Amino acid sequence: MKVKILKRTSNELKIEVEGAGHTLCNLLQKRLLEDENVELASYDIPHPLASNSIIYVCTKGDVKPEEALRKAVERAHQMNKEFSKEFKKALKP
Amino acid sequence: MEIEVLEKNDVNMRLLIRGVDTPFVNALRRTVLAEVPCMAIDEVVIIENSSVLQDEIIAHRLGLIPLKTDLNGYNLPEECPCKSEFGCNLCRVSLTLDAEAKEGTRTVYSGELISENPDIVPVSDKIPIVKLVKEQKLKLEAYARLGKGKKHAKWQPVSMCTYKYYPQIKIDSKRCDACGKCVEICPRKVLTKNVNKIEVRDLIVCTLCQDCMDVCPQNPPAIDVSWDENTFIFNLESTGALPPKRIITEAIKILDKRLKEFIKHVKVKTREKS
Repeated sequence: MKVKILKRTSNELKIEVEGAGHTLCNLLQKRLLEDENVELASYDIPHPLASNSIIYVCTKGDVKPEEALRKAVERAHQMNKEFSKEFKKALKP
Repeated sequence: MEIEVLEKNDVNMRLLIRGVDTPFVNALRRTVLAEVPCMAIDEVVIIENSSVLQDEIIAHRLGLIPLKTDLNGYNLPEECPCKSEFGCNLCRVSLTLDAEAKEGTRTVYSGELISENPDIVPVSDKIPIVKLVKEQKLKLEAYARLGKGKKHAKWQPVSMCTYKYYPQIKIDSKRCDACGKCVEICPRKVLTKNVNKIEVRDLIVCTLCQDCMDVCPQNPPAIDVSWDENTFIFNLESTGALPPKRIITEAIKILDKRLKEFIKHVKVKTREKS
């Protein structure tokens, strides 16, 4: 995975990620939009055969976009953790 | 989040997952299909082939045979410390095949492949590879490696992995006159007529086609088919390479790893610039 910063201001972040497709981007977009400090979150895959995608985050100004991104990843991790726990529990009896 | 196991055996698993959203289940599905590694024959050295099929076709057929996989004992070739193009004992398994039709026509089956590791064998002994007539011979050595579904479908540990919304069927008993048209038209036989009442027989098989709503003579229809956007029926059918439980736990692990890798790169890059 490779990350390139395309645009960065105090409340905006546009990054190009090599080796991330809909799997990661769509998940992150949804997690970002759950954050009330995030104004806009979107992603684009410029070419369907190339595996690079562009993620765009815009916050309302109180929180830095990279911080919002970090929190979004944290929430995604939390969900995975909960899933693993519930999955184990469901298989036990 | 709540998970209920609806069905489980050696190859199939059906889960009811409550309290999640589409991006999560879709990420899980995509990871299962494209990122969970399993074993498949990747390289074949043909020593003798006098069958009617060309070497390439036999190699392709061998590649598509699902192999029982040991994820703990083997490394992905690109992650193996040997760094060798050819591979080592930790990232490659060799299988040999030596078949000859001595008495009349016969079929060579996957069960004739002899593996150097008794744990890495075809999931079924009855997969036909090629048919030989008398005096034809097939002798080869094949190398199986771990790989991922995104490179080639032979490395998919599943033959099917899908999800659908959990259906919700509401029947307005006041307006329904139990004409039975919805029972007749339903392709999955979800509904049943009980005396003069329409009842839901098996909710889970509903495909949300809404044919029953269209056929209902009442206006608006007395039957309503909708779905719960936070509840999913997750279906998984393993090829036999890995048990379904392992596939799901492995997918979650990979998803976690990818997220961790992503945020690490973002942190490094944003720190560099500021």
